[in-house]
Amino acid sequence: MNRSDRIVVNWGHIALLAVIGSTIAAYLFDARATSLKVNNLLFVQPAAIAGLLLVLLVLPQCFRRVSADEPAPEAEPLSHLAKVAGLMAALVALALSMERVGFDVATFGFLVVALRLCGERNWIVNLGFSAAFTALLIYGYGAIIPFPFPLTIL
Amino acid sequence: MLDLAAVDSALALLTSSGTAWLFVIPGLLIGLFFGAMPGISITMAMAIFLPMTLYMDFLPAIIFLTSIYTGAGFGGSVPAVLMNIPGTSSAVATTFDGYPMARQGKHNEALGLALAASVIGCLASYVLLLFLIVPVSSVVLKMGPLEMSAVAIWGMLLLGSLSGNSLPRGLLAGVLGLLLGTIGMNTAGYVRGTMGVPWLLDGIPTIPAMMGLLAASQLISLVNAKYLIDDEASRKISFRRIFSGFRMTLQYPTIILRGTFIGVIIGSIPGVGSSISNLLSYSETKRNAPDGASFGTGNPKGVIAAESANSSSEGGAMATMLALGIPGGGATAILLAAFAMHNIVGGPSFIANSKDVVYAIIFSNFAQALLLLVVGLGFVYLAGYIVRVPMRFLIPSVLVVAVFGSYAIDGTASGPITLVVFSILGWAMVRYGYPVAATVVGLLLGSLVEGNLLRTWQISGGDPAYALERPGALLILALMAFSIGMTAWSARRRRRAERLADVES
Repeated sequence: MNRSDRIVVNWGHIALLAVIGSTIAAYLFDARATSLKVNNLLFVQPAAIAGLLLVLLVLPQCFRRVSADEPAPEAEPLSHLAKVAGLMAALVALALSMERVGFDVATFGFLVVALRLCGERNWIVNLGFSAAFTALLIYGYGAIIPFPFPLTIL
Repeated sequence: MLDLAAVDSALALLTSSGTAWLFVIPGLLIGLFFGAMPGISITMAMAIFLPMTLYMDFLPAIIFLTSIYTGAGFGGSVPAVLMNIPGTSSAVATTFDGYPMARQGKHNEALGLALAASVIGCLASYVLLLFLIVPVSSVVLKMGPLEMSAVAIWGMLLLGSLSGNSLPRGLLAGVLGLLLGTIGMNTAGYVRGTMGVPWLLDGIPTIPAMMGLLAASQLISLVNAKYLIDDEASRKISFRRIFSGFRMTLQYPTIILRGTFIGVIIGSIPGVGSSISNLLSYSETKRNAPDGASFGTGNPKGVIAAESANSSSEGGAMATMLALGIPGGGATAILLAAFAMHNIVGGPSFIANSKDVVYAIIFSNFAQALLLLVVGLGFVYLAGYIVRVPMRFLIPSVLVVAVFGSYAIDGTASGPITLVVFSILGWAMVRYGYPVAATVVGLLLGSLVEGNLLRTWQISGGDPAYALERPGALLILALMAFSIGMTAWSARRRRRAERLADVES
């Protein structure tokens, strides 16, 4: 090991491992709180323990040793991550609002925002496509599936 | 094995009535269209058209419904190849290599491979069914929870082979999927991990979770791409290249045969069916292939293995339904309902008394598989145009279709919420090199493994000697051990050959 080596920490990966590890641990505790009988824990407990051990096994992979003269890897532009975050936020909003504001309004709103985020700069094309695709989906899926969509305008 | 008088009578039944054939092509088209729509299951497609069959004679009604079944079985593979969305759970393994092929500009070949493997698998399964309907049904009756556990554990071995570059990350992704698959009420009545959410009592909705992990996560990460295929020249839709996929399929008869055999056997087990058979066939093909390492990066053999198994599961499921009157899944339950609507009861007495009708159903399925070749070709040609749609339109459209599809499953927000949660999880997992496919497989197998292990435990009282009383389970475990042993041996031989080649060069 060279003294000038440095450790690069992948914080995003650590966050993901924390989410996975805490989900598994919470599930194990919840299962044990439900009952300690074999009928309850036969599969869940060994699988959860194996999962937690695997989290510990993967954890060192979040720390990478690089030599001092190695150039830093090119960082992903923040604008890319912002687009991903925006699209995720729009998807969350669609899933949570569709039953409240109506499928037509929520879908139209999502399409306008998502098209803009994905790079459609022409507002006429954006609004026209969003309106047409919303109508197609509402009437198309509406004709096929046996459940009614809550609607506000259409 | 084959009652020639009944065969003659079946052919007479099919040739004497032209109306029975009128419903094949519409049935196939309905199946293809519905199967390709995310969230619309084969069962739902058949259920929608079930009331219509009340006004038909028995044979045309069954032929119409089985045509939808056949069409939808392949229809699910089209979005699996083009958009990484398995239209049904039986098309999960098709995404592993089909979608990477599409992204490399080989979408024509991938669709041709999938169609040819489906048609051949379906045909072969009905040939097997014709001869083996009676023995297969007697095997199915002997399958207990231990045998089912053995099959599910065999499926779990796929988790190891899906691990990608890092085995611990692959296993963690798989174990996470297995655990998530057990959330809800288990077969002993214990409720775990629901966080008080009522709809989680039945477990995490699998189809929206799969769509989120495989498709939505990929689409979100492609937000900065211009097209699904970067190279403009590769975006062409070409019959010639679809046919070359066809021809390529014929070069791998062993993979098709293996897939068909796995499909028929696993498909005939009630409750397991095509959602496991495609994974098992993929896993076995990968293990046995000399180029196994390239699976998951666009290897055509992966598509052939998955498609031949999921299409041949239809034959297996039909065997159980016809011979025992047991529906292996939703689609065969609808077929049994159609039987009941015409005052016919499936099962051993039906086979004994109406062998000619059983053979007529099997023969009509041959014709359906052959017609699928023609109808499916036109369908994939049109569907292929999706690669020419700019991503700025494709991403929002597919995401919103996925949301509608996930809502269509039970008409509640549970589907869309699951889809969104798993999209975000899937995006993060892909970003840090975790194979989301392993999580999907775990999710599919979790409750199956737990339920059958639990039943085995309850029957055996925890006594391991119980396994000795179940020769079927021992045989499955021996086959599994043999398969792993052969893989290790061939991997060692391959490494030795590579070392020798290195030394010589």
